[in-house]
Amino acid sequence: MSSKTDRPPMRSAAWRISLWATLAFACGTMVVFVFLQSFVASDIQRRSDAWLSGEVETLGDVAERTPKDALYGRVVGEVAELASKEVPNKEADESEPNDSVFFLQSGSDGSLKLWVGSGDGQQPLNAIRSTKILEDHPTDVRIPGFRIPFRVASIGIEDGSRIFLGLSERDEIRVLRSLRWRFFVLWMLIVLLGFSIVFLTTRRMLSHVRNITEAASRIGHSELDARVPTTNRNDEVSHLAITLNRMLDRIENSMHQLHTITDSLAHDLRSPLTAIRGKLEMSLSSATDGEQSEPIVSVIEELDRLTDFLNKSLDVAEAKADALRLTRSMIDLTELLKIMTDLYEPSMSENGLRVSVVTHGPVEIYADAALLHRMVANLLDNELKHLPANCTLTVEARAVDEVAWLILEDNGPGFDSEVLQHLFERRVKGRDSSGHGLGLAFVDAVAHAHGGKATASNQEEGGARIVVVLPMAVAQGKQIQSPIIVAPK
Amino acid sequence: MRLLLVEDEIDIQSFLQRSLEEAGYEVEAASDGKTAEKLAAESVFDILIVDLGLPDQDGINLILRLRQLGVRAPVLILSARRSVDDRVRGLEQGGDDYLTKPFALAELLARLRNLLKRNCPSTGEATRLRVQDLELDLLRREASRGGQVLQLTQQEFVLLEYLCRNAGRVVTRSMILDKVWGMRIQPDTNVVDVHIYRLRGKVDGDGQIPLIRTMRGVGYVLKDR
Repeated sequence: MSSKTDRPPMRSAAWRISLWATLAFACGTMVVFVFLQSFVASDIQRRSDAWLSGEVETLGDVAERTPKDALYGRVVGEVAELASKEVPNKEADESEPNDSVFFLQSGSDGSLKLWVGSGDGQQPLNAIRSTKILEDHPTDVRIPGFRIPFRVASIGIEDGSRIFLGLSERDEIRVLRSLRWRFFVLWMLIVLLGFSIVFLTTRRMLSHVRNITEAASRIGHSELDARVPTTNRNDEVSHLAITLNRMLDRIENSMHQLHTITDSLAHDLRSPLTAIRGKLEMSLSSATDGEQSEPIVSVIEELDRLTDFLNKSLDVAEAKADALRLTRSMIDLTELLKIMTDLYEPSMSENGLRVSVVTHGPVEIYADAALLHRMVANLLDNELKHLPANCTLTVEARAVDEVAWLILEDNGPGFDSEVLQHLFERRVKGRDSSGHGLGLAFVDAVAHAHGGKATASNQEEGGARIVVVLPMAVAQGKQIQSPIIVAPK
Repeated sequence: MRLLLVEDEIDIQSFLQRSLEEAGYEVEAASDGKTAEKLAAESVFDILIVDLGLPDQDGINLILRLRQLGVRAPVLILSARRSVDDRVRGLEQGGDDYLTKPFALAELLARLRNLLKRNCPSTGEATRLRVQDLELDLLRREASRGGQVLQLTQQEFVLLEYLCRNAGRVVTRSMILDKVWGMRIQPDTNVVDVHIYRLRGKVDGDGQIPLIRTMRGVGYVLKDR
């Protein structure tokens, strides 16, 4: 049963489809972003490298030209300070002490000659010494005490000393981080939006499919005049609905023809039967003694059997073609079994059989009363005809998971193994059976027409067991579930 | 009792006419809807028998037309169709009855009687039924014969009551199944006969005149004289 409310959305196909679609979309956009970010990162690096190279050259120039007097340190320091204010990607906040740039000049012997920056400059010097710095290209240098590496450019000047300009990669990383963060928020929004759109669209589309399924399954339960819902849109789903409806038109048409044939056959046979029977009855009433009436009586009885056979054959034929017309009402199976066994009990005990009814409270089913009566009568007739004396028959009605079970068990000889396989087919009967082999075929046909099934087996401890399962009464408007055929132990 | 019989099959029409006349009805027969309408307009009938498959129109339409013309008599619908259609069910609820072909004459007569009884309800329901020396107390659900109380089960009492109410008339097995057990079935086996056999054992004891008679090929009758 799949009505809109009783199924969690997590288990629907729409959920799965949108999940996979969103996953693919998310992965795709993520890959695109990774490329984009690496491009942006290398571009930022290129820019800051260009700046570093330019600045270190200027500083080298200044250092070369400035006389090495007492003012040297101050002049170069000023220039370096100025340069640090033009750092690219810098954060606007200036209140912090500027530690993102350092200027370092080392003498030809490797000692610290000049330092502009926070701290005493010894640690950067050591770090620079331990790192191989290329002349013409800025290099990453990790300085103890700083989490983020510095980008260091260097230039040698004439007096043998070297000038190093270091720029923290902090700002670069900050820019990239903010880029990532913004992308992530946007990405989440887009992915969520995409998921909702895909989910809602597929659910809408699949709800059409579900409506079609529900309608089709209702039609499967003998409402052949019903049609699956169609939409005005010209898509695959509406094509499916239209195709199904065309198919149903054809099925209904052939069903109608079958009805017409069986009806006219029944009519054409019944009219003469009525006339014959009437005439026989009239001659019976005018017959004066037993010798005259005896043949008439036996002809009437034959005629009644013929009529019964005709009715049953047509019923079974229609039912096998799923064309039985049902007039449903609420029926308590337990009550029906009680009445039926009351009716059959005298005949059973006359044949030396015992019959008992096992009840489990009311078992309400929504079924065609007349057909159900005849079905149970057929089952009991069958037992009555075939069970040897001194056997016990147990009939039982019970409800298991929205399915009504009608169980007949006896302790007789059971079914012949060759008959068992085809028990519910037409014209199949036991070796000693005098019937026309329609009784159990009719039972199965009625069960089938109600969306149920009849099964027969031999019990392990001996004796036959026939089980008829029928869907239980469900609230109006809800479809009827196909029963699960598992024998309860 | 004036009865209008509308049936196009001449064979059926003629035997029905004869049997109905024998049963005491004054029968007018029509073979098609048009004639039936004309007859119904000319005179008043107490009851109608209408076959559904008429040559010129559908039997149900005819009944509805006759109702419009002011015919109030109950109708027994004869049908050779296999299933009872919803319109027949509608009429059935409106007080009419239907019978599928082929039928036992006894059943047809019983249904006619029921329809007529339904049409003119008797004043007050009897609380006792009496057939010869058999007596049924419907309030105490007790039966006695010749003053001797019979030990009957509930089911047997209902069956005997049905036979008594139809004393002197034949009831068929399917009528018994319909009225006593409330089901229209045709068992392959002798279930009804065994019930009757048991009831007979209690009602027609040793040395008494048998009341319940078997009419072979037809059904049973409780003799009223």
